[in-house]
Amino acid sequence: MIDIAIIGGGPAGQAAAQQTLAAGLSTTMIDEQARPGGQILRQPPATFAVKGWMNGRLYRPLRRLLAQTEADTRLDWRGETSVAGIERIDTHFRLTLSGAHGGTLLARRVLIAAGCYDMPVAMPGWPLPGVMSAGAVQTLLKSQQVVAGQPIVLLGSHPLLLVLATQLLDAGADIAAVLMPQTYGQIARAALPYLAGAIFSPGPLIAAGAAMARLRRAGVPMMMGARPLGFTGDGRLEAVDYTWRGQTHRIAAQAAAVSYGFLPQSDLPRQIGAAVRWARPAGGWETVCDGAMRSSIPGLYVAGETTGVAGADAAMAEGEIAGITMARDAGAAAGSGIARAQARRARMQPFIDLLRAVADPGDVWPQATPETLLCRCEDISVAQVEATMARLSPMADASAVKHRCRIGMGLCQGRSCEHALVRRIAAARGCDPDAVAPFRVRFPARPLPVDEIID
Amino acid sequence: MSRIVDGVTRPAPITIEIDGAMIQAHPGETLAAAIVAAGAYRMRDDRSGAPRGLLCNMGTCSECFVWIAMDGAWRRRRACLTPVSERLRIATHEGQP
Amino acid sequence: MTHEVLIIGGGLLGCAAAWHLARAGLTPRLIEARGINAGASGQNAGSLHFQIERRFLEPGGTGHAQGGDIVRLNRLAIEEWAGLEDQLGRPLDIHMHGGLMLAENEADLALLSLKVARENELGLPTQLLSGAEARDLVPRLASHICGAAWLAKEGHANPRILADAFADAARASGATIETQSRLLDLRRVGDDWQATIEQSGQITTASARHVILASGHWTARIAACMGLNIPLYLAPLMMSVTDRTAPFLPYLIQHVGKRLSMKQTDDGNMVIGGGWASAPQRMVDGLPDLDAPPHLVPDNLRANLTVAAGVLPCLRARSLIRSWTGMTCISADQLPIVGEVPAAPGLYVAAGGSMFTLGPLLARMLARSIIERAMPDEIALFSAARFAHLNAFVVQP
Repeated sequence: MIDIAIIGGGPAGQAAAQQTLAAGLSTTMIDEQARPGGQILRQPPATFAVKGWMNGRLYRPLRRLLAQTEADTRLDWRGETSVAGIERIDTHFRLTLSGAHGGTLLARRVLIAAGCYDMPVAMPGWPLPGVMSAGAVQTLLKSQQVVAGQPIVLLGSHPLLLVLATQLLDAGADIAAVLMPQTYGQIARAALPYLAGAIFSPGPLIAAGAAMARLRRAGVPMMMGARPLGFTGDGRLEAVDYTWRGQTHRIAAQAAAVSYGFLPQSDLPRQIGAAVRWARPAGGWETVCDGAMRSSIPGLYVAGETTGVAGADAAMAEGEIAGITMARDAGAAAGSGIARAQARRARMQPFIDLLRAVADPGDVWPQATPETLLCRCEDISVAQVEATMARLSPMADASAVKHRCRIGMGLCQGRSCEHALVRRIAAARGCDPDAVAPFRVRFPARPLPVDEIID
Repeated sequence: MSRIVDGVTRPAPITIEIDGAMIQAHPGETLAAAIVAAGAYRMRDDRSGAPRGLLCNMGTCSECFVWIAMDGAWRRRRACLTPVSERLRIATHEGQP
Repeated sequence: MTHEVLIIGGGLLGCAAAWHLARAGLTPRLIEARGINAGASGQNAGSLHFQIERRFLEPGGTGHAQGGDIVRLNRLAIEEWAGLEDQLGRPLDIHMHGGLMLAENEADLALLSLKVARENELGLPTQLLSGAEARDLVPRLASHICGAAWLAKEGHANPRILADAFADAARASGATIETQSRLLDLRRVGDDWQATIEQSGQITTASARHVILASGHWTARIAACMGLNIPLYLAPLMMSVTDRTAPFLPYLIQHVGKRLSMKQTDDGNMVIGGGWASAPQRMVDGLPDLDAPPHLVPDNLRANLTVAAGVLPCLRARSLIRSWTGMTCISADQLPIVGEVPAAPGLYVAAGGSMFTLGPLLARMLARSIIERAMPDEIALFSAARFAHLNAFVVQP
């Protein structure tokens, strides 16, 4: 039995591990990637040497933390391993692991710092190979040093696209266009209420401005107010259709990077029954916690994007708070910086709110057609889902729809479609998405090879 | 060529087999990256037989579930989390040899 | 307002009974606390199993004398399932291509041959197959499978869509079906039953001549609130499903010596179960929480999949995509309890085992017992009267 299991090797998990290790607690960190870093610092393979890797100023604190984590021989690092299940047994936890370190792990306390994932957004043609999340394109670039395809179109409401565009430029990629559905006016109006508070975090704002200027200088076509209509191609992406300034356009592309926001990874908190709530405004389920990062389940802690998507700096602060709290709750010699970390985290909130407001696709969602697949795993279309909903009582929950038409019954367990289904049910009922009961999250959190279970 | 060359040092390439075709990959790369870099987008087929490719590249969506020959048996794994290795054999459809 | 029949529970039993009653002109009202098919009716593994179970075979065993009645009922159930898609006018993924109960060793085989002999004597046309004959039917069966009992009409159906079909047919015949409607109280008032019902915050009362508790594992708790003892006990179970694969198994697979049910769905997924337990969540007082999904028991999952992959090694190549739990109940003697409760005239129950396989038939029989005011002979062995002694000292509130 170990003292602390940390699920997720990103900034939150690393910052927490620093605290628990310093307090003398045995700490195991589990991650699906081979090396720590999380998605923000998804490292190249250990066999690669990459000059100037992620050396931007904004990444420096993250890189310092990563270097400390990797140098810490007390940390029990278990990469290439998925957490399929989490249960509470008496006063401890049992994790079911799959992959390089498969088996079970018993821990007195668990921190879920599992991050977030790109919100899958159903639009015509989105299952075509070549249409990827912006995160996929970015991690191929950062870690694997591979350009996902070119020419590439970047589209969506999230300003991450600007960062990605500059990274693609650095790699010499051919960017066909950046299509953002908001106009500059809409962005300014969304940002205005938060601007005053956000000056405490000037770094990202300055970086965004610099990125815009750089893209313009490089001649990358930036179209604000451009509404993507969908993707076309014969067996793979060939073109992106969009409307801009009242006209419909088609632009050739071999790859597309889509970003309308991010959803917290919520499988494990929901599987064990921790309290979650609908994340605003982007959606998905964020795990509820107190100011010290304790979830509703004694002994279970959460930090980082799992508690609501807020970026890597917030994740680092929350991880530090969670690590100190875990050490305190374990009766170990805890660090003294909790109030400082909490204050640091609080100062970031205006910028986080600004980014959420700017990125919110609330008025600029792409439109699915009746044929568009909502569930990519089981190939269930919008029309099938709507027909099923129409047959049911308006009070029917997401599971009732799932049982009847198979939406969410496939390999991804609903991670791609559940948020969209819940939005549709909420819209049909005229209620808040939080009032719609989502799927019951089941074991395993990731597809689990049968031979791993029985051997 | 979609692999970034400037400033990147990779180990010497190895050969892996996908649906009977040989592609080059560098030890350490993920299978998904090797497939994308080779310009071969298919990871699996949907229920109508249309190809599906990489979507999230972080183990969450399972769109990149491929078949991998392991110790004489075929097993399904996420290509984005699977490192390449010498003589790796991959199929994007079930029921291949 | 007085109803002829009030049905508590919108699962397979309740919806099917509502349909039969409505067709007879009784305009039943059905109330369901959550949604249609939200309980065990939609969570079971969908097996249609008609071979008789081990305990009805052993000479001198408790169930031996009932073997004939069980076989008679199973034959009626086969007819019931065979006609359902036509009667309800829609596809229900009902597949009755046959079922194999497997033997892995000599002891299993001895039991199977005893079973087949007894079944044939009782009129159930099972056949004893050799291991090779079983592998002719399912080439991927493990090489050590040494025999099987084959019954041509076994199979499986889709539990996720069946109750809806009954509910729609019931509505079309004049039944009233109300979801999100929770029973708060049920008591005898004069010759009628009076129910207190909560619907989206509104509390109303309704009277009925007859009440059917088609409430699955809640049945005993509801009866207890009325001072009645119905010996039904919780059976929290688990089922698992793998990723899809090309069709190769049109049959139901069971095991004579181990807990196993296995089938391939229309979509290609493998559904694996067979009566492995899950663990109910507990309330603060330690009693099981009837409304919460039970917890998965990892050791049981491993054991279940080990049995399954033992007889079908190709399962090793599959990925588990979901294990789920559900709650059903078994009776004190493991036979369903169906019919009027002697201590509570006009109150009917239907629960306690094999409620998917036998559900459509038992719902028809239950409706008949209300319409004809007499319990059909065919289900006499399930009569609640066999437990009448438990209510000898009951004073209803």
